[in-house]
Amino acid sequence: MPVFQTWDEFARAAEKLYLTDPMKVRVVLKYRHCDGNLCIKVTDNAVCLQYKTDQAQDVKKIEKLHGKLMRLMVSKETHSGAMETD
Amino acid sequence: MVLLENDSFLTELTRLFQKCRTSGSVVITLKKYDGRTKPMPRKGHSESFEPADNKCLLRASDGKKKISTVVSTKEVIKFQMAYSNLLRAHMDGLKKKDKKSKS
Repeated sequence: MPVFQTWDEFARAAEKLYLTDPMKVRVVLKYRHCDGNLCIKVTDNAVCLQYKTDQAQDVKKIEKLHGKLMRLMVSKETHSGAMETD
Repeated sequence: MVLLENDSFLTELTRLFQKCRTSGSVVITLKKYDGRTKPMPRKGHSESFEPADNKCLLRASDGKKKISTVVSTKEVIKFQMAYSNLLRAHMDGLKKKDKKSKS
């Protein structure tokens, strides 16, 4: 259950895990305003990747990854990075 | 668990964030959804269900109240913009970096 120390490693591992089995993977985001921290977890119930932060600069990165995974989930294509415009 | 339209979900999510400012956490879950509304059939039963490939399920909770919504390809662009703005606006309690270092 690795907790990543660098965002880049976490983002790469998360996207890779999602692409191995999109139906199994879920993304969980936990925000605590009173403690001032944010935790993101990506898991397929076998592997669990986590990243925790209390830095404001990470909010944008986390929100972008969240959006990217959301778009991957609704796109019919199996390859990532495709921007559909129709 | 309340299933809402995308707009209502965003409104309720805003309320969850506002409620949890003094204590508690907001947990958001995102998962790919194939549109099934019936439980998985047992062995021997043929699946007459055609899995949809273009939807995802979003859930949010503050520990007590639970809300959810389904987003599909047609709605994702609009929803994602509003959703990103919402997250960025409300997740503002984190520490700002003192040094102005942009890596």
